Amino acid sequence: MLLTLALRNLWRNRRRSLLTLSAMVASSALLILALGVFSGMFADMLASGTEQYHGHMVISARGYQEDRDLFRTFAPSDINLQTLEARPEILAAAPRLRSFGLISHRTQSEPAELLGIDPGREARVTTLSQKLQKGEPLHAEDQTGALIGSGLARKLGIDIGGELVILTQAADGSIGNDLLTVRGIFASGDRHQDNALVLVQLGWLRQLLVLPNAQHEIALRLGEPLLAAPLADTLATSLPAGFEVLDWGDLLPQMRDAIAAYDVSRLIMVGVLYLATGLGILNTFFMSVLERIREFGLLMSLGVRPWQIRLLVLTEALLMGLFSLLIGVSSGLLLTWYMAQVGVDLSDYISPISYAGGTILPRLHAVFIFDNFFIPALLLLLISLLAAFLPANRAAKLHPATALREG
Amino acid sequence: MKKMLFFGLGFIGITASTALALDLTALVREIEGQYNGRSSLATMQMEVSTAHWQRNLQLQAWSQGRDQFLVRILEPPKEKGVATLKIDKQVWNYLPRVERTIKIPPSMMGGAWMGSHITNNDLVKAARIEEDYRFSLQKEDEQTWTINGIPKPDAAVVWGKIVYQIEKKRRIPLVVDYYDEQERKVRRISFDQVETIGNRTLPLRMTIVPQDKADERTVLTYQQLIFDLELDPTVFSLGRLRTP
Repeated sequence: MLLTLALRNLWRNRRRSLLTLSAMVASSALLILALGVFSGMFADMLASGTEQYHGHMVISARGYQEDRDLFRTFAPSDINLQTLEARPEILAAAPRLRSFGLISHRTQSEPAELLGIDPGREARVTTLSQKLQKGEPLHAEDQTGALIGSGLARKLGIDIGGELVILTQAADGSIGNDLLTVRGIFASGDRHQDNALVLVQLGWLRQLLVLPNAQHEIALRLGEPLLAAPLADTLATSLPAGFEVLDWGDLLPQMRDAIAAYDVSRLIMVGVLYLATGLGILNTFFMSVLERIREFGLLMSLGVRPWQIRLLVLTEALLMGLFSLLIGVSSGLLLTWYMAQVGVDLSDYISPISYAGGTILPRLHAVFIFDNFFIPALLLLLISLLAAFLPANRAAKLHPATALREG
Repeated sequence: MKKMLFFGLGFIGITASTALALDLTALVREIEGQYNGRSSLATMQMEVSTAHWQRNLQLQAWSQGRDQFLVRILEPPKEKGVATLKIDKQVWNYLPRVERTIKIPPSMMGGAWMGSHITNNDLVKAARIEEDYRFSLQKEDEQTWTINGIPKPDAAVVWGKIVYQIEKKRRIPLVVDYYDEQERKVRRISFDQVETIGNRTLPLRMTIVPQDKADERTVLTYQQLIFDLELDPTVFSLGRLRTP
């Protein structure tokens, strides 16, 4: 009975109901779209910060990531890569060895980081070797090939096929030196990587450093990067003592802060937008209640209890909320889907921005994140009920006689 | 009139003390250049011990004045022929295994030289210490002078303070302490095995101990030292760096 009555009441003043409904639909749909695009921006940033170089998670000897001490190594047999990859959360794992040294071409020399990788495995964890500007990725059989950053290549004046002299201190104190051939030049947008990173073969670097059978870290790619922190904790307990598992938040604390700040600003955005929507709903319902004072008085004198009046107004609000939720969320999803599939390319207007250890790409591109739909939808319902609460109270507190007279 | 007299006396006093004082800058120059002479040829042994490795290198070194310096590894066989050439402020390394020469860029001058506790900067900056630092006599007793070196305001230096302890009688260094900008002692070089070579008396062994790793050290011992010989100027060239 109540539901029919509420529906009929809404239908009675179609124009007002539709106007309110459209405000609610537009605000929720646009909010969902904005959150999707915003999240897309952060997903790009996170991907560039983690998937280009670090990986989502890194396993290393305790303390290595802090001082990058050449001697904090472990043997491949200490941690089995297949066992790691058998976990459903982990998509791929890649071993690495790292050293810092001097690289030189003809008369130019520059300090650089040498990262020894297993090309096949690394390509499944990080994307640097897919960001080649020129040349080709490393092949397992080409032990003296190297990929270098575009900035470094420019400083050294070197091109594909050019010869690099490498000078570093080996683990036995001797002077490690060898020649490499540049196979590819990558451009990632990250200044450190482009200006000071050389990707080399793991086997070659082990020989150069006189560190046979050693590695510094295992980089992991995860299915759900945002769930890295809890996984790192569980993984750490399954490893032998002396190892640590760091997720991207530990490796890039600025990135973690940026994303935490985003989470807060997301809530503020929702709050501000819904405050406005809520005021709109409040206004509508006050109007509709004031218009119907005589009607409520009649209902009451016919024996309808005040709580039933209150429930009636709240049901009207709930119905409005449900309608707008249905239309708003589905059109929000549709808009997000469009932005995820097509997006907007801004590269003509702005260049990539380095921020918090990642790179924000010059594009508007949305991603689907459950919270971005769930929170606006839930809040929309709450807001419509909250906004209807005052008018409903007002209606319930009417005295039948005065109401009839006033109306 | 009285004032003027006072002023005049003061002036005479200052002049007198300057004339009598020890020329600290000249003394430091003498100490820093003790192994150089006009030219020199040396054979030395360098023992490096760190937490991770023990190295024992046999080296041969040539110098011309203080600005030209060439050193080549004789042993161990794995590193035989690795050489360093210093001309003024520039340093090159020759790597016989790959037959290439690398110039050390400014950003790498703080790096270890040949896996020891000596840095490339030590090779370069030692020649300019008395230009970059201002010296004062901190302490003097029967046997020794203790001299403080503080960098001049606009000098590009590595150390915040250098303290020399010098034996008066033979004018030789005993200990040199190096401090960083926060006045923390970073390393100590001590000298011993004093011998007389020609008309020079000098310590033939120097021990470098980094203060943050007290059980690590580099010991450099001169086994043979010849001064003031005639050296072909091409000794100090990139060409000769490659071909001994």
